[in-house]
Amino acid sequence: MRRVLDSLYRFSGAAAAAFLLAICGIVLLQVGANMIDSAATLVIGEPIGLVVPSYSEFTGFFLVAASFLAMANALRSGSHIRVTLIIRGLAPGPRRWVELWCTAVGTAMSGYFAWYAVDMVIDAYRFNDVSAGIVAVPIWIPQSSMALGLVIFTIALADEFVTLLRGGTPHYEQGEHGDLSGPVPDDI
Amino acid sequence: MEQLPLIILMLVVFFALLGSGLWVALSLLAAGMVAMGLFTSAPVGLVLATTVWGASNSWALAALPLFIWMGEILFRSRLSRDMFTGLAPWINWLPGRLLHVNVLGCGIFAAVSGSSAATAATIGKMSIPELSKRGYDETMTIGTLAGSGTLGLLIPPSIILIVYGVAIEESIARLFIAGILPGLLLVGLFMGYVAVWSLFNRDKMPPREPSVALWERIKLARNLLPVALIIFGIIGSIFAGWASPTDAASVGVALALLFSWLSGSLSWDTFIASLMGAMRTSCMIAFILAGAAFLTVAMGFTGIPRLLAAWIGGFDLSPAMLLFALTLFFILLGCFLDGISVVVLTTSIIQPMVEQAGIDRVWFGIFIVIVVEMAQITPPVGFNLFVLQGLTGKNILVVARAAFPFFLLLLVAVGLIVAFPEIVTYLPNRMTS
Repeated sequence: MRRVLDSLYRFSGAAAAAFLLAICGIVLLQVGANMIDSAATLVIGEPIGLVVPSYSEFTGFFLVAASFLAMANALRSGSHIRVTLIIRGLAPGPRRWVELWCTAVGTAMSGYFAWYAVDMVIDAYRFNDVSAGIVAVPIWIPQSSMALGLVIFTIALADEFVTLLRGGTPHYEQGEHGDLSGPVPDDI
Repeated sequence: MEQLPLIILMLVVFFALLGSGLWVALSLLAAGMVAMGLFTSAPVGLVLATTVWGASNSWALAALPLFIWMGEILFRSRLSRDMFTGLAPWINWLPGRLLHVNVLGCGIFAAVSGSSAATAATIGKMSIPELSKRGYDETMTIGTLAGSGTLGLLIPPSIILIVYGVAIEESIARLFIAGILPGLLLVGLFMGYVAVWSLFNRDKMPPREPSVALWERIKLARNLLPVALIIFGIIGSIFAGWASPTDAASVGVALALLFSWLSGSLSWDTFIASLMGAMRTSCMIAFILAGAAFLTVAMGFTGIPRLLAAWIGGFDLSPAMLLFALTLFFILLGCFLDGISVVVLTTSIIQPMVEQAGIDRVWFGIFIVIVVEMAQITPPVGFNLFVLQGLTGKNILVVARAAFPFFLLLLVAVGLIVAFPEIVTYLPNRMTS
């Protein structure tokens, strides 16, 4: 079970990183197209009209996928910020209760959010909503990356909650020692 | 104000959740859910999903992960290692000597990285051992680093200005350009203070070092040059209107990779580490922005920001008084919250008030960033203080005292941009769009 969950977080993180790479790639393609167009304007007097079709829309879709698929991975590396000023000084006993509270509220909220995100995807699928750009993309496809990311995030929070219940330390604490200078650990 | 109980309840819920250690993004979402669920009949879950989808799916926001990635690549390159040796021979003649490396190094690094903690940490790791070896005053070393590290927030490309621009739907390019002159102003103020301080404290200054021949200096600075070119390329192409911030960011990533490859510091491991680091940091910020976007919509449903604006408007404060009150409020808020959270909270609740007072949106963005910079060096929560505490092993109060003069200099900068708003608005008004 542990191994399945860990691979889930690793793969969703890798997918998010791949989308980030794709954003860079698609924007660079468009920049290249613009440059060729400018050169063409200089040489033959008019632009060729090179564009990456629906480029700005795809960038936005990739960004959603990169942001939401990364959520569970970022949680476990302690990247999501929170205020630890008050809870930092607590003894291990009360601190554990506080962490249980945080992960419980987090799981509930993320679950609620994920539920409605899935609902939104199902509606978009049912009503055949498509994006408004040149390339009409069925909108449920990019939206499902957000829903999927939130589902995985909910699983990760519940996972941390269970870890705490069993008396363990949540994984996110290993990344947040108030030391912002060091690079975050790279295993998940 | 019959809405007063609602406002108080919201604030209590929000700060109780934050204080209990719930993640900032989730606390923002929770405050929005409470406001909407209890005081309106709108379908909360549906609005939540569609708002967050709409806010996250943005082409302009794509500049954020790209600039973060560029910073991560250069952070892992030789650049930080060469910053000290490259800069030191050039400024040895100034009063204050090598202390200026901290200010200038942070200024340059700020231009490639959007984070003030990373800026202070990167430069500090290099310069603290070198400066203490040469016998420079420790308090001054710490103070200059803490103060100049905050430049990372203001000098473009600035992550926090992207967040502000996306949240209020203002042109990020204009915000970037608006940050240039105030950023240079701060560099000038900091360097001026170091120079004046060293003239009055000659006994605390170590002897001057032998000067280095010009050719040797250029050789030592050779790795700073390509980075300087990347910076000028990015800022220049945005200013000239050739590239949007998103376009410039992607080219910046490509050039940073090229530079880092040519200087021999790019390996598969550093590539993956930079990509994964950027993925996580931008996810964290995107999540906070999503929370803030929902809170803004929820607040819109409750009508609180409009009421608040009308209420403050009723006092008939002059803009200067309003700004004074807001400065105090932000410094207080910044004592407990990080800069990005302060900015998104502002945009959800205070923006209508600011606009009603007739304050320019771009100007206000720069104003709030400088105030947030001050918050970075005030205890108990100031990220730069934590970083320097980690680097020097000094008590946080010692670090905070060392940084205090720089806090005052930031306050002077705020006073200057209030008195002369053109410092902010001159360049963006001259942009070709």
